[in-house]
Amino acid sequence: MVIFRKIKEKIKELVERKTKPKEIKPKEIKPKKVKEIKPKKVKAEKIRAGEEAVLPEAKETVFNEEQLAIEKAKYSRPEVVKPKRVLPQELPDRYDYDKIILQVRDLWWLHAYWEIRGTTIEKLKNEFRDEFYKAKRVLRVYDISNIVFNGQNAHGFFDVQVSDYSSSWYIDTGGPGKSWVVDFGLLLSDGRFVTIIRSNIVHTPVEGPSWITDEEWMIPDEMFARLYGMGFGLGQSSPVGKAWQERIKKALFSGVFASPGMASMGSPVKKMPGEKERKFWLVVDCELIVYGATEPDAKVTVQGRPITLRQDGTFSLRFALPDGKQVIPVKAVSSDSIEERTITPTVNRETKSSILVKEEVTK
Amino acid sequence: MHGHLPFVRHPEHEDFLEEDWLYEAITETYIPLIWVFENLLADKVDFRLTMTLSPTLLSMLTDSLLQERYLKHINELIELAHKEIERTTWQSDFQCLAIMYLNQFCKARDTFLRYNRNLTVAFKNFQDAGKLEIITCGATHGYFPFMDVCRESVRSQVKVAVSHYESIFGRKPRGIWLPECGYHPGHDEILKEAGLRYFFTDSHGILHGTPRPKYGVFAPVYCKGTSVACFARDLESSKQVWSSVEGYPGDYNYREFYRDIGFDLEFEYIKPYIHPDGIRINTGMKYYRITGTSCQKEPYNVERARARAAEHAGNFLFNRQKQVEYLYDFMQKKPILVSPYDAELFGHWWYEGPMWLDFLIRKIAFDQDEIRLITASEYLAENPRNQVVAPSLSSWGWKGYSEMWLQGTNDWIYRHLHTASGRMAELTKGFPDARDLLRRALNQALRELLLAQSSDWAFIMGTGTHVDYAVRRTKEHLLCFNRLCEDIKSNSIDQEWLSEIERKDNIFPNIDYRVHQ
Repeated sequence: MVIFRKIKEKIKELVERKTKPKEIKPKEIKPKKVKEIKPKKVKAEKIRAGEEAVLPEAKETVFNEEQLAIEKAKYSRPEVVKPKRVLPQELPDRYDYDKIILQVRDLWWLHAYWEIRGTTIEKLKNEFRDEFYKAKRVLRVYDISNIVFNGQNAHGFFDVQVSDYSSSWYIDTGGPGKSWVVDFGLLLSDGRFVTIIRSNIVHTPVEGPSWITDEEWMIPDEMFARLYGMGFGLGQSSPVGKAWQERIKKALFSGVFASPGMASMGSPVKKMPGEKERKFWLVVDCELIVYGATEPDAKVTVQGRPITLRQDGTFSLRFALPDGKQVIPVKAVSSDSIEERTITPTVNRETKSSILVKEEVTK
Repeated sequence: MHGHLPFVRHPEHEDFLEEDWLYEAITETYIPLIWVFENLLADKVDFRLTMTLSPTLLSMLTDSLLQERYLKHINELIELAHKEIERTTWQSDFQCLAIMYLNQFCKARDTFLRYNRNLTVAFKNFQDAGKLEIITCGATHGYFPFMDVCRESVRSQVKVAVSHYESIFGRKPRGIWLPECGYHPGHDEILKEAGLRYFFTDSHGILHGTPRPKYGVFAPVYCKGTSVACFARDLESSKQVWSSVEGYPGDYNYREFYRDIGFDLEFEYIKPYIHPDGIRINTGMKYYRITGTSCQKEPYNVERARARAAEHAGNFLFNRQKQVEYLYDFMQKKPILVSPYDAELFGHWWYEGPMWLDFLIRKIAFDQDEIRLITASEYLAENPRNQVVAPSLSSWGWKGYSEMWLQGTNDWIYRHLHTASGRMAELTKGFPDARDLLRRALNQALRELLLAQSSDWAFIMGTGTHVDYAVRRTKEHLLCFNRLCEDIKSNSIDQEWLSEIERKDNIFPNIDYRVHQ
């Protein structure tokens, strides 16, 4: 909520900065004009650079393609008197390229995101006509481990059908220790696959120790097995094949001692769940305020301890009040030490508590 | 030990919630660690530690605005501690803790001022004394495996970090803590280019490396082709400290983190010390011990906690001795145990952590002669012959790979980050030797890109707290980058606005955009 407020403030600031451009005096801003310029209705070319500065309300709206076009139109017209520009609130939806990027999430899963230009889609529509509309959009995932892929020589592939409007996907390869490349394309109704874009190559890591050994640094299997288990903190007896699964199973990653990522955010020490089974609770505590006034130059003690008076001779003290009896003598001595007055409030706190849990009503 | 916080600095707001991450860590972690090291030096106790101070953390520790604000923050805490001492007059268990906090806060302020507000000087002294080896990290803690599609960005993360380190510590760093231990095969080449000689991975980084590592995680390996050394984490020793189930920090005598007077006390009273909007936050004053699994908490007892910390240090040492004896037996070589921890665990989460570390170092120095502390560099100097292995892709995050930073809540950022990386690479190529205003714009573009790349934002989106802030930061930096990029391409740099964001995102003043290639 704070952040939200801060953002609002920031927007306000930006808007203020925006509404005070040197070229335009605030008085010239006609409110009517503000209403006229609704981003959705106005074409980019018609926007005059200076006018955008009177659009504080438009700032709050979601940035859309028209506004993007407005931005672009401005950049291409350097001869116009340069207005103060406001940053859009949102990142662009598209970057205008044909591209698919593949990344490894873990041993088994890949993530792909892609973007296809509208013009590329148009070309495909023209080329395939009706077939285009019948075709499925597909990610073709090739296993290209240990080969130089030429488009034909993959060890195998599988297809993942994606929805027409999706632009990213998680892919379960089921295959650690392999190399992958993904084509985004159209699977035509006659079974032909048309590649639109091809991804970068990625490698999923191996699941478990390598089978490749090094002559110079040989180690008997049995000894390696012990080292392996110990490396995962599982003692000396875990068989190699199982140690890794055990690490996963034992939740050795799941926050137990995986990095908290940002140490100031996540504690490795778990919050104790406590007794709140029904998540209902009550906390009550008491504090006592002792306050008073005397001559500003008097010396005052409370329970024998000297206290400092405010300039006008008043004072307040705040105490956490535990159960039991508190005798609180407040003594004031006049500055000439001739007169002494004492007032002693006595406060008794007694706390009782009870818990009543009714049986749940079942319908 | 890995010390890192993301760059959070908001000159535009007087009181910014997320800046407290830094202030809390200064009072609770960095300064208490400085005390531990100072005392060890004063008592002539020999010790060795390898520690990361991330470039973003160093930047904040040396920033005059944040230094000024920390001083204000600690002064407010001191004022609160005074009030607490009075308020707890009739509760002696709590009053002695309020006095303890007052002393701690006053001492923290003294230390802060003694180093002229610049705590990096303290760490530099420990390094210059040969006790601490400070290593670097990614410039803004970007997660390297997700920059592999644009290695220029990995390079700029590394090179900016190295030159920033040099400007603070007066020498080049020898090693690097890869952000989140995120290693992607091939990135050792970039480390080598930057003159870095070693890095760390999680245990499976080496255990699943090729060929099979003869000594498991108990010796470093050299990366194939680059000879950059890779050390892997020993999970046995990690577990004893990290684990919430069996780890030390959960001991019932230790201080309970979640009972802070910022949440416990009456609203009007505590109001001046929490967020101005009335949002309750941690003040750092906590009066209870963990006690047990119930909500009923007992007052914290300093002496009992201290005794436990000493016991735990003894237990840790004993277990390492046993571990090393066993390993030496069949390795026939001195094993190395790499036990990395987030620095902020010590003091901030685990209040007794610095105390424990102090006990441990003294016990290692005086009570035995089986194990000794060593820095990564020293180990390599003593043991130059190591196996050549290609480490596996890995991280020390949730599930051991990259899922923490690539899931439904944060996967949308990579499209934008990669595009920005690509554009930055184009700009660097297009302007190989820019001057004046253009150069400033290019440098700022790289700053904005780096700030957007912090793995912390993706992490926060993944955890679900402070999400708005993380989203905001990612977008803001990318939007600034995009605009700078357009301005540069269209030769219409807005000098006024550029100056404004240079003041705001003022990290890495000596950055050179040409490292992004």
